Amino acid sequence: MPEFDALILENKPIAPGIYSLMFAIQERVAVRCGQFCMVGVPGFPLKRPLAVCKAEEERITVCYQVRGAGTRALAEEHSAGERISVTLPLGNGFCLKPEEKRIALVGGGVGVFPLIAALREFQNQKQLFSYMGFRNREAVCLSHELECGEKLVLCTDDGSCGVRGTAVQAFLADIDDVRPDAVLACGPTPMLRALKRATEGRDIPVYVSLEERMACGIGACLVCVCDKKDGIHARVCRDGPVFRLDEIEL
Amino acid sequence: MADLHVNICGVELKNPVIPASGTFGFGREFDEIYDISCLGAVATKGLTLEPRLGNPTPRIAESRGVILNAVGLQNPGVKHFIEHDLAWLRGKTKVIANVAGATLSDYGEICARLDGLVDLVELNISCPNVKCGGMAFGIRPQDVKEVTHVSKTALKKTPLIVKLSPNAESIAENARAAEAGGADGLSLINTLTGLAIDIERRRPILANNTGGVSGAGVKPIAVRMVYEASHAVGIPVIGMGGITCAEDAVEFLMAGAVAVQVGTQNFTDALACPKIIAGLGKWCEVAHALHGVERVRDLTGTLTMN
Ligand SMILES: Cc1cc2nc3c(=O)[nH]c(=O)nc-3n(C[C@H](O)[C@H](O)[C@H](O)COP(=O)(O)OP(=O)(O)OC[C@H]3O[C@@H](n4cnc5c(N)ncnc54)[C@H](O)[C@@H]3O)c2cc1C
Ligand SMILES: Cc1cc2nc3c(=O)[nH]c(=O)nc-3n(C[C@H](O)[C@H](O)[C@H](O)COP(=O)(O)O)c2cc1C
Ligand code: FES
Repeated sequence: MPEFDALILENKPIAPGIYSLMFAIQERVAVRCGQFCMVGVPGFPLKRPLAVCKAEEERITVCYQVRGAGTRALAEEHSAGERISVTLPLGNGFCLKPEEKRIALVGGGVGVFPLIAALREFQNQKQLFSYMGFRNREAVCLSHELECGEKLVLCTDDGSCGVRGTAVQAFLADIDDVRPDAVLACGPTPMLRALKRATEGRDIPVYVSLEERMACGIGACLVCVCDKKDGIHARVCRDGPVFRLDEIEL
Repeated sequence: MADLHVNICGVELKNPVIPASGTFGFGREFDEIYDISCLGAVATKGLTLEPRLGNPTPRIAESRGVILNAVGLQNPGVKHFIEHDLAWLRGKTKVIANVAGATLSDYGEICARLDGLVDLVELNISCPNVKCGGMAFGIRPQDVKEVTHVSKTALKKTPLIVKLSPNAESIAENARAAEAGGADGLSLINTLTGLAIDIERRRPILANNTGGVSGAGVKPIAVRMVYEASHAVGIPVIGMGGITCAEDAVEFLMAGAVAVQVGTQNFTDALACPKIIAGLGKWCEVAHALHGVERVRDLTGTLTMN
């Protein structure tokens, strides 16, 4: 996991408050879907963890929502031609077993972005069924990237695009038809809790990508732990960010 | 090439740059980014007698120019460190074991276990003393002297560095107290206690409420304290607090430090330490041409006050 002095190629809005950042690094690195990078924002002591959306040779794309001061500065003050420090690839990523062939992808909000990488990586090997939730029609982005599986259900909280309701609700409505061998999910904690309740008692492995505040991003500082059922504190940045939903306390 | 060697309590370091405790683990992860044998030494994560799970999350917050952390000393315990990490780390560079206790006897026992196995022991005295109402060992001079003495008594072979807390009543007095307790050297500063608030939720960001402040914003406070401490004692001082580049390190050396530690900047730039080492070499070469600085150790304490 090298540290790169990356060159920003593009940093543009793709939906209100959502930006796509593409940068070039000095060498080709193999990135698995679900892996992330730590993106430095000049003037801020902590880098921001962002999922890799696309890795094409030396070009890496991440998509981010403007939330606090760091992502706002990244969106408003930095553009093509500037350099930022980036550590990547980080974390374990989504790993599927060969016998896991029918895969449901459940994403909400910024949780959609790592799942785009999963769609790209698994599209020729697996049958993919996607359930992607956004706040409203304006927030829907990258829908062309989401369309590459067997099925895509877009959901919005207000019904202004696709079906009304959450991605978990849409997935549940389909679960008995689709009969997935595994689920890949990413989204806010309430969404993951709902998914946990919904899949309890069913024998389906659910792999979720967690969000936790980070400092080093590589496993050294123990800032980003989550509770595992076996009583061990796992590092989200190193042992995750992808965990089996039945192995963690949410 | 400038001579970057320094000597701290009889231990020869190839350069004065040391990653600070808690920001670097035991070095294994950073060694995947660069070969950590380039470092003067490594200060380990704080070691306790028994493994510790630490605080709930969030454990980290950011405020302009600084961060706050409340990791709560999560670590696998001193025994695990000795059995699993020490040999590997010593194969790389000099090892400074950072030691944290909840009682005086904890400090004594951890030091006894590490004696002769590591190059230096660094006492983290910013921990609450559970037998003394939870007040940190590093606040009052009499407590500093006592914890230093107990630790020094347990260390027959390895030199002892006491890491001073900036939350002390007086830095100069605590520096003298550590020296009187038998410290072979000092390091400073540990983090300052701070509070960061999520104004939407009207709650602290950190699960622990308060956290230790570190990073670029604390540097002037740290440099002042290093100056005061190093002028109060006759033992060597390691300076830290907000170092981001070679020029920052030079400030600490001039204020009286023999070596420096780099903490938060490892997060901002994982290559911070090797960059600072290279930058110090370059700075000395330029300074050599101008003022005849050939060796980095000649910079220590060269500040002239107005
Ligand atoms: C593995 C992983 C992948 C992620 N992928 C994406 C992504 O692809 N797109 C996206 O928009 N967001 C993603 N996030 C969330 C993203 O990291 C935060 O939204 C972002 O760090 C907030 O920074 P800020 O400057 O807006 O907020 P500030 O409030 O200024 O942040 C202060 C500090 O808190 C941290 N922080 C605040 N909120 C979060 C959060 N929800 N999760 C983690 N750290 C936080 C920041 O990193 C920073 O260290 C991911 C998080 C993780 C852990
Ligand atoms: C995440 C984190 C964990 C830390 N853990 C320890 C520790 O275990 N023991 C200790 O003595 N200091 C610890 N510190 C303090 C640092 O070693 C250092 O004294 C402080 O951060 C100031 O340096 P800086 O501004 O370069 O970070 C920690 C600091 C941070 C940011
Ligand atoms: S962020 Fe440092 S261990 Fe995960």
